[in-house]
Amino acid sequence: MPEIKVTPLGAGQDVGRSCILVSIGGKNIMLDCGMHMGYNDDRRFPDFSYITQNGRLTDFLDCVIISHFHLDHCGALPYMSEMVGYDGPIYMTHPTKAICPILLEDFRKITVDKKGETNFFTSQMIKDCMKKVIPLNLHQTVQGDYNMTPDRHLGAAWIDKCRPDILISESTYATTIRDSKRCRERDFLKKVHETIERGGKVLIPVFALGRAQELCILLETFWERMNLKAPIYFSTGLTEKANHYYKLFITWTNQKIRKTFVQRNMFEFKHIKAFDRSYADNPGPMVVFATPGMLHAGQSLQIFKKWAGNDKNMVIMPGYCVQGTIGHKILNGQRKLEMEGRSTLDVKLQVEYMSFSAHADAKGIMQLIRMAEPRNMLLVHGEAAKMEFLKGKIEQEFNCYMPANGETTAVTTNPSVPVDISLNLLKREMVLGGPLPDPKKPRTMHGTLIMKENLVSSEQALKELGLNEHQLRFTCRVQLQDPHSDSDTLHRIYTHLKSVLKDYTIQHLPDGTVMVESIVIKVSSSAEDANAKVLLLSWSYQDEDLGSYLSSLLKKGLPT
Amino acid sequence: MMGETEAVEIDDILDDWFIESLKSYKDLHVYQLEHPTQIIEWTSGKTVCVAGYSSGKNEILELRLPLKLLADEKKGLCAERDFKVVHGGFSEGPVCCLRHIPGTRCAVTNDGLNSDLQLWDLGADDTDVIRKTGSLPGTSVSQTGSRIAARLSSSPEVLHGAQSSAVQLTQLGTGQTLYRLEVDSTEPLSSLKFVSETAFLASCCDGTVYLADTRTSAPPQASPPPGECTLWWTDASAGPQCRVIRLSSSGQAVVSDLRNMGGAVCRAQLDVQTSPRKPEDVTVAWAPALDGCFSVSGLSGLVQIYDTAGWRAEPQDASPLFQHAGHSVSSQHGDGSAPIFITTHVWHPERPRTLLSAASDGSVHVWDWVDPQTN
Repeated sequence: MPEIKVTPLGAGQDVGRSCILVSIGGKNIMLDCGMHMGYNDDRRFPDFSYITQNGRLTDFLDCVIISHFHLDHCGALPYMSEMVGYDGPIYMTHPTKAICPILLEDFRKITVDKKGETNFFTSQMIKDCMKKVIPLNLHQTVQGDYNMTPDRHLGAAWIDKCRPDILISESTYATTIRDSKRCRERDFLKKVHETIERGGKVLIPVFALGRAQELCILLETFWERMNLKAPIYFSTGLTEKANHYYKLFITWTNQKIRKTFVQRNMFEFKHIKAFDRSYADNPGPMVVFATPGMLHAGQSLQIFKKWAGNDKNMVIMPGYCVQGTIGHKILNGQRKLEMEGRSTLDVKLQVEYMSFSAHADAKGIMQLIRMAEPRNMLLVHGEAAKMEFLKGKIEQEFNCYMPANGETTAVTTNPSVPVDISLNLLKREMVLGGPLPDPKKPRTMHGTLIMKENLVSSEQALKELGLNEHQLRFTCRVQLQDPHSDSDTLHRIYTHLKSVLKDYTIQHLPDGTVMVESIVIKVSSSAEDANAKVLLLSWSYQDEDLGSYLSSLLKKGLPT
Repeated sequence: MMGETEAVEIDDILDDWFIESLKSYKDLHVYQLEHPTQIIEWTSGKTVCVAGYSSGKNEILELRLPLKLLADEKKGLCAERDFKVVHGGFSEGPVCCLRHIPGTRCAVTNDGLNSDLQLWDLGADDTDVIRKTGSLPGTSVSQTGSRIAARLSSSPEVLHGAQSSAVQLTQLGTGQTLYRLEVDSTEPLSSLKFVSETAFLASCCDGTVYLADTRTSAPPQASPPPGECTLWWTDASAGPQCRVIRLSSSGQAVVSDLRNMGGAVCRAQLDVQTSPRKPEDVTVAWAPALDGCFSVSGLSGLVQIYDTAGWRAEPQDASPLFQHAGHSVSSQHGDGSAPIFITTHVWHPERPRTLLSAASDGSVHVWDWVDPQTN
């Protein structure tokens, strides 16, 4: 029975560094190649020594598939391909291919420049790695970090009742029950509104893509509803880049965004204007969206420095910040920051951390599993002691496994191979007579199976393959002691065979032969012995078994 | 396609209630459980249990409250808004009543179909599974479920019963009956509650309330129904000045002093929008940390909070201090099917204005309201 083998190299009963090896149909595939954000040593990379103790991975892997661009799913890719060594294909979707190098480079810069790491991949390595990437369309790849409720700019995940042999799912969020999107947005608007009302300024550091557009639409609608007058600014660098990517990948977003984008330019807002850095010194309340998202450089950091000293102001961090950035420090409660030139910055403004991340929760994950109806479930990305209940819950309906790193789960499969039969071949079989095709009574037939299409007649196969047909016939001589005439002997053979081979078609033909199925029997007198006869048997390759049986039978002689 | 039917117009979310909520709630969290719950029971200052009540197999979940809600000074730095399922288990039947035994990791449940009790181990740090550890036979042959009460004591004990004639205190380890309430009437109970380490109130659906003590076999003090109505709910407040409130299905609210149940300190008439018929329909609860305030759900589609400070001996119409309309506003059943009703609600034991409420559509809300009078 064919097997599928799954071995997690990272995220097996652990969170982070997603990396799963799958052996299927004779191929070895690596699913994701992530970084564990909680470690600074080798534990942050998946353990590739499981694949091979030394040397490159190219010979051991047929391909790598990256589900999406979050660092815990792709952060170790340049390390794997350029430092450990892999030259084979790396598959991902078009948007992932576009966004991955940006995130990897940002991450590299922070880790090396800010934290002074030495054993890390370089910018060139990121470029070389991306050269090995082959971008694909969605139906060809898997989708990671799914959510069952639609984001404003991405579509919801939905899945056919595809009944996979294995469905691999993370379990961290399967024990979470998510607060509604409405309440998250309420909190965001409440904080912004309170700050504006007391005359303060709100800074929202954002990445080039993602939440920024969604939050803008939300604020614009709120400002309109509440008739607010305070200005909202959006940094132009953001607009250009975002516009560019949205135009490229519009088909990946949901219906509503597509409609909005087509009807009006997404960034022609009534209340939101392009930012100029001189505005940061203007008095009075305002809201500014600026990059980069972790406050580690650029415009958002410049604005932050200006506004940090006033307790009426607020900074809203809408996402995760990597260790070493200012964003990370202030989210850890640091109120005094060391800046360049040994100056310190007093952080008096209000710091708000808001999570708008797109993970599913318990209900969403169970919904998706039930929709897909897998034959087997495999849980990764969670601690063993915290996955038992979920495993028990899934086991009410499906088989469920939860392997640790390096532990292999083997699942037997029963792949069915549907085969069609060509009409000509079917008709020919019908013409031969006999009962109609019956699934309970299997019948031998001859044909050629072309794996591309369907079962056809041999002639058609030969024609398609451009080959000549060769017929193979066997002949055999049997000597018999029989004093009768040739025709009498033939008749005696006919009668004998008819009594022995009751299920077969036996004919005594006018041309002086006996035919058993397609086997021809002729009788002639022996030249050397007048009382002896020579039987000539001839059969085609298909009747080999019957032919050899007949020759043995006739060698025993005829009954008297 | 799924994505299409669930797409929400941005303008829709900014409805009146949403805009109003920016000022009227300090915190607001809205969750959707897979299956609705009829119980919310505190198992610690940070965790609650919820459980399904369908006729077949149901889940019992212990949920940890969102860290952001509990964070206080560091609130801004905490992004965690979600419930975390810390422990989970399966019950073969519905869970209509669940009581945590204080000082232990033990819980007792009843399925509402008879008076038998099931015992559970809620699990420790090394496992996330809630396991059934045993059962206790019911105290009476009854078709209604048992009420359950527990308080901190040296050995785990549970007070339970479905009718006033069949209330007993049972020791969990041995199954031994430590005390029995001596009352002849077989009236079904609407609640059982300890008011001190040994004194308890057994409140009947007909409005009769018995005050008894587990140390003595003397007959309990009985207090007859405070008005004309056939269905009543009762709650007793904590603290030395124990007040008892009795609420009828017609909206009559009567507040008495525990030591003088015959007299009424004050009365009021509450507005009733629905017509509650079963004991499970209504929940009434004193606020643990807001003097004189109580909450009620089941008289309308909302959770209403009343302040008895202005109430007098002569009954007058009372208006709620605050109403939580979240469940009916954000209800998922927009297609005109059965209306949503609130199945239960509880106050946080220490935070003055924090409540949790659950509804028949599986929603669970956690909210910290702002006193409109302090605006």
